[in-house]
Amino acid sequence: MKIYQIITSLALLLQVAAVNAQQAPRGQEVPNIADPRLQVKLPDVNGDSLSLISYKGKVVLLDFWASWCMPCRAANKKLVKIYSKYKDKGFEVYGVSLDEEQKDWVKAIAKDKITWLQVREHGNAWEAKVAQQWAISAIPTSFLINKKGDIVAMNLESDELEKAVKELLEE
Amino acid sequence: MKKLMMLGMVCLMALAAGAQFTKAELHATGLTCAMCNNAINKALQALPFIQSVKSDIKNSSFHVVFRDGQEVNPDAMKKAVEDAGFSVGKLELYGNEQPLSVGDDKHVTIGKSVYHFVNVGDRQLNADTKLMIIDKDFISHKQFKKISASTKMDCIQTGKAGSCCTDAGVPENARVYHVTI
Repeated sequence: MKIYQIITSLALLLQVAAVNAQQAPRGQEVPNIADPRLQVKLPDVNGDSLSLISYKGKVVLLDFWASWCMPCRAANKKLVKIYSKYKDKGFEVYGVSLDEEQKDWVKAIAKDKITWLQVREHGNAWEAKVAQQWAISAIPTSFLINKKGDIVAMNLESDELEKAVKELLEE
Repeated sequence: MKKLMMLGMVCLMALAAGAQFTKAELHATGLTCAMCNNAINKALQALPFIQSVKSDIKNSSFHVVFRDGQEVNPDAMKKAVEDAGFSVGKLELYGNEQPLSVGDDKHVTIGKSVYHFVNVGDRQLNADTKLMIIDKDFISHKQFKKISASTKMDCIQTGKAGSCCTDAGVPENARVYHVTI
C-alpha cells in the first residue's frame, strides 16, 4: 500500500486546528477526522445537517468548491464520473460550498449533476468557520480520507484521484 | 493673463488638497482564477490605508474601502496584487467628496498624490465619478497603447513628472498617476 506524502499544508492544518495549544496525542502524526477540532456539521440544501464523521468507514473526499469557481466546475465533471464508478464500493464525497447565494449553489448542483452530499455554511465565503478551520485559502481544495478517518492526501484530481480512491478502497 | 492662470492653478491645488478617495473597485487578472483565491483579499487588507476588501463575484472584482484620513497609494495596491501572483486589470478610484474641476492634461493633487487627467474634457468631478488609472500595468497593454495616444505629454510613459508637468507646478520626477473617466 502506497503511503501518500503528507504535504506541508497538512502540517499547517494541524497548526490551524491546534489554536488552543493542545498537543495532538502522542504517536498520531496524521490528522484524523475524529479530532474534535476538525468537526464539520453543516446544513444541506434542505437544511438538514450531516456531519463529516458520520462517513467514517468509507473512503471520503472532503471537497471545497463554489459555483462561481470555474476550475471547481471543471473538476466536478471528472469527480462525477469517479463518484458514480466507486460509490457502490464505499466511496463518498462530502462537498462544502463557499457560495454565499443559495440559488447559485442549487443551480450549480443541478447543472453539474452532483448527487453526493452538498453542504454550505451561511455567511461570507472565505470567512466561513469551516474555511478557517480547514485553512482554505483557495478553491478547489480537497482532502482524501481513508476508512480509518485519516487524511492521507490533498488536492488529487482526475486520474490521480481515481487511482488513490481505488487503492484506499482495497485496504 | 499668466498671473491669472497661476492664481487659478493655486486655487485648484488648494481646493484639491482636502479631497481624498474613499473607495475603489479593483479587477485582477492572472494565469489562475483570481476570485478563486483569497490571496488578493489578504494582500490588500494588509495595506495600512485599506479598511475593508470584499470580493464581488458577479463583477469579478474587489470592492475596497479606504480608511478615513489615510493617504491612498495605488502603487502599493498594485504591488500587493502582484505579490499575490496576479496583475491589476483595472483600478477605479472614487468617493472624492469635494467637487473638482478637471480638464485634459490638468494636474490635480488628491490627497498627497498628483493625478494627470487624460481624455476627459472640461468637467466637474463628484463623489460618484470613477477615476480609472491608465498607467502601465494598471490596464491591459492594448488599452494602454490606445489611451496613451490621447496625451502628448511624456509623463504617461514614465509615470513620473517630466518637463511637461513642471509648468503645472509639479516637481520633476514626482510620481504622477494618469487617470481618465
